[in-house]
Amino acid sequence: MRYERRYEEYEPEMKQSVLVIGAGIAGIQASIDLAQMGLQVYLVERSPSIGGRMAQLDKTFPTNDCAICILAPKMIECANHENVHLLTYSEVAAIEGHAGNFRVNVRKKPRYVDPDRCTGCGECVEKCPRRVSDEFNLNLNRRRAIYIPFPQAVPRVMTVDAEHCLYLTDLDKDRCRLCEEVCQAGAINWEQQEEIVELDIGAIVIATGFDPYDASELEEYGFGRIQNVINGLQYERLVSASGPTGGELLRPSDGAHPHTVAFIQCVGSRDMNHNPYCSSVCCMFATKEAILANEHDPELKPYIFYTDLRAGGKRFQEYITRAEDEYQVTYIRGRPGNIGENPETGNPVVRYEDTTARQVHEMEVDLVVLCQALVPRHGQQEIAKVLGIVLDEYGFVHTPERLLYPVDTSVPGIFACGYCQSPQDIPDSVTQASGTAARVAELLCREEMEHKL
Amino acid sequence: MSEHTFQPRIIAFCCNWCSYAGADLAGVSRLQMPADFNIIRVMCSARVAPEWIIKALLNGIDGVMVLGCHIGDCHYISGNHRAAKRFVLLKEMLAFVGVHPDRLLVDWVSASEGRKFQTLVTEFSKRVKELGPCREWQVEIQTPQR
Amino acid sequence: MSEPRVGVFVCHCGTNIGGVVDVPAVVEYARALPYVAHVEGNLYSCSVDGLSSLKQGIHEHRLNRVVVASCTPRTHEPLFKDACEQAGLNRYLFEFVNIREHCSWVHSHEGDVATVKAIRLIRMGVAKACLLEPQDEAESGVIPEALVIGGGIAGMTAALNLARQGFHVHLVEKEAQLGGRLLQINRLCPTDIEAYDLIKPIIQEVEDHGRITLHVSSMVHEVSGYVGNFQITVAEDGEKQSFDVGTIVVATGADVLQPVGLYGYGQFPNVLTQLELEDRLKAEPPLITGAVLINCVGSRIPERPYCSRVCCMTSLKNAIQLKKLNPDAQVYVLHRDLLTYGVEFERYYRRAMKAGVRFLRYNLENPPQIVGRGRAENVVVWDALRGRELHLPVDLVVLSTPLVPASDNERISRLLKVPLGESGFFLEAHIKLRPVEFATDGIFVCGTTRWSADVSESISQAYAASTKAAIPMRMGVVTAEAITAYSEPSFCTGCGTCVVTCPFNAI
Repeated sequence: MRYERRYEEYEPEMKQSVLVIGAGIAGIQASIDLAQMGLQVYLVERSPSIGGRMAQLDKTFPTNDCAICILAPKMIECANHENVHLLTYSEVAAIEGHAGNFRVNVRKKPRYVDPDRCTGCGECVEKCPRRVSDEFNLNLNRRRAIYIPFPQAVPRVMTVDAEHCLYLTDLDKDRCRLCEEVCQAGAINWEQQEEIVELDIGAIVIATGFDPYDASELEEYGFGRIQNVINGLQYERLVSASGPTGGELLRPSDGAHPHTVAFIQCVGSRDMNHNPYCSSVCCMFATKEAILANEHDPELKPYIFYTDLRAGGKRFQEYITRAEDEYQVTYIRGRPGNIGENPETGNPVVRYEDTTARQVHEMEVDLVVLCQALVPRHGQQEIAKVLGIVLDEYGFVHTPERLLYPVDTSVPGIFACGYCQSPQDIPDSVTQASGTAARVAELLCREEMEHKL
Repeated sequence: MSEHTFQPRIIAFCCNWCSYAGADLAGVSRLQMPADFNIIRVMCSARVAPEWIIKALLNGIDGVMVLGCHIGDCHYISGNHRAAKRFVLLKEMLAFVGVHPDRLLVDWVSASEGRKFQTLVTEFSKRVKELGPCREWQVEIQTPQR
Repeated sequence: MSEPRVGVFVCHCGTNIGGVVDVPAVVEYARALPYVAHVEGNLYSCSVDGLSSLKQGIHEHRLNRVVVASCTPRTHEPLFKDACEQAGLNRYLFEFVNIREHCSWVHSHEGDVATVKAIRLIRMGVAKACLLEPQDEAESGVIPEALVIGGGIAGMTAALNLARQGFHVHLVEKEAQLGGRLLQINRLCPTDIEAYDLIKPIIQEVEDHGRITLHVSSMVHEVSGYVGNFQITVAEDGEKQSFDVGTIVVATGADVLQPVGLYGYGQFPNVLTQLELEDRLKAEPPLITGAVLINCVGSRIPERPYCSRVCCMTSLKNAIQLKKLNPDAQVYVLHRDLLTYGVEFERYYRRAMKAGVRFLRYNLENPPQIVGRGRAENVVVWDALRGRELHLPVDLVVLSTPLVPASDNERISRLLKVPLGESGFFLEAHIKLRPVEFATDGIFVCGTTRWSADVSESISQAYAASTKAAIPMRMGVVTAEAITAYSEPSFCTGCGTCVVTCPFNAI
């Protein structure tokens, strides 16, 4: 309603194209919907592949569907749609204009690989001698300097990490170039430059997702200090079949299978010293991770330390009951005060109060998983400045009319969906993504549809 | 034909949405396995008609695998339920007519279970080797009729 | 039908296949297969060179079937099918053989074995290709009009969005006026806006919109057809009206549980549900000195295990309202976990605490007792966290009860042939990735009829459902992939088993 009035101020011709920033599940869904509506979609993604956080998960609650199995077909559908133009390994540099008529500059970072020639065969990766900490696996293992972030990456084009490539970082440009030697398609191109792509855009959707909060900020929990204290995303990579341990739950210090695992909720969430808000999804993902732990080893005992058990989605409460009844998960109401370490075994020792029994205990476990807060992605402040949108005090995208227009940002023509808008799970993110498509369509596609008989 | 030169001929019906993708992941992960299996892609495990399996075993195939999505994950909602029920019956029928029921393997492989695919193929290949060639009604292989 | 002329294109995929499988030997073998008119090896079949070689091969050798032996169809099949189509060949006369993921990559140290297997797989592929027949993808037109069932906030949002996009919408509402559940609500959190103030302009816009045909005091009576072409009959006081639409959105809302027999409800006049309190707050705000709000009444219990998501915030909202009316009132919220998720709700929780609302955790083993003569006078509660019993004097007890499936759900489920889940709420196509769609094409669902949701969530869902409905209507046609079942007339006995069995209502 508020837009109808404003639109009259703008040009009558609305560009039939949309810029989607962020290619996680929300960005991908929005792109598919918008493309199917007949709009041209420019999907910009900072990393070399689309897929986002969901590609890092092993399974998703409450169905325990394999995450990449349900994501990959969507990724392929999105990339193959004739109306979707992927701009991966790219960032939005500048925006001018207004709803219906934006001019956007996108900076395409050089991959040093020609996407028209690269067939994704992977020969170069096997030969590359340089090993780099793998950010996709949360630094639990290493990748090569020429790489593909994960096996199902889309587009299936290799990327050279310019910061670590032996050839590119060498002042004399005299080293290595093994990838170029082995590539039979001749796809390595050291001459590739950064490219600025100029786009005429009608509407913008921001779907930049989240980062895990740095749990080392909570010194009392020993993250970064105690080897067997890991965070939730690292755990996902450990249990993923395509992760650093091939899907075996092995703890960092000695590679042993843990027999007890403690999951700590609200690490940096609901905490006035860190993030006062609730990250919404951790009670559920902790339950999922606990179930997976017990599935890996039926003798394994998972413990979840929680404050309020938040399971308000469809079939969520039943999932929790199943965890207790079928997977030996014990829920203890209490936020641990600190986590120590048994120096001989490397076992973390959790000190907590069981608030419903009003007793203080110490529990020595084999592995601790911190269900850390989820915060807006790094770079959010910068992109907000470029777009001119308002963020709230935590960096989430502010939606001025929260009730009636939940996906509208403070700038007309720019919409937000998924975690960057507010903490929410996959179904809600997907819903919001489709919702932004409806708002975009209201803006850009308003010709009368005749009933043709 | 002596035991150690017998190379079983195995057909694996894999559903497009889950088990075929699981087989792909096994490939991407370079999980090595015996070469006896030959995959035929179907849209759903429910598409596999019992007659096909019988015809295969009659015509020189020594073992058949039918791999679908896990129960609850079927792209067509209930296809794998039907397959499950159908093949329980077929196994009994095969046993009744003298074909060893272990020559038919029905299992569920999700798109992320590359390792499970490898395990199933490796073990089934071994089992069929143990059972020996399915000789009961060997006939000539037919070329396509037009 | 003319004799098959099969072209076989064997890919080296660099060394991925070529390094294990003896591709030249495979090519030689394939030449000798029956009906094969042309064979070639490509370094990369999917590359620009490979594809143009494919198209050229089709023309030069008058191929009417194509087999590509390379990687997995799950990535490149559309690419090759498109290439065939561009060369004038029906895309369903194409067969893909996987000799990489299922061969060279998994038998990497046994080149001979892998080569024999590749040959075998290609032989299978060629045999199948000879039996392929050209297929047409069925197209049917989509009427650019939608039916929205339910005139609450979700239904109205979907209807307005579709109308603004240019589609004609039939909005059917069973009550005499639009507004749904929000008409009974006092204020909305976290902004404290009056519900009527929020909804009134929307109702006005729906009533005024030229592209929305309103059917109030009406119910959907009959539905037939399929996506793009549904025939709808609506009944108003026995009078029927029929029209055709392309898509349907279900937004029929939910009911609120009446907790008869729980915590003195029905027994004491001053024990109310949250909904009844909303009514009281709108009409004549009561003067309260002591109030206890009990959450999870009739939910998160064995008979009804789910959490209804919206009741905690409702409870907090009303607790704050009661405190506002009388800052000295003793207001307690008794809960079994507080669902104040996200940023805004957690902020609202802090606001409630600042306002002086007190929170006590109870458990099912020791539920609160309501005592009094003629009216509820005291609530006896075991404070689980402090480990002691508290006696709270009250003049009002408010019970937070869950949303339950609307009584009409079963009727609509049968009418539209869409499923209900275990809980009685509508069952979506896929709980993670298709939350507002039914498995049956062309029918969508949003709002509390699918699951508990607050106002802004219902609206998001309504927008999402609107998008899903708009897509086929905007495209004007729906195309069915040719990979579908067909009925063989000479075998069909008309038993109807297929109609009953099909989960997609396609027959």
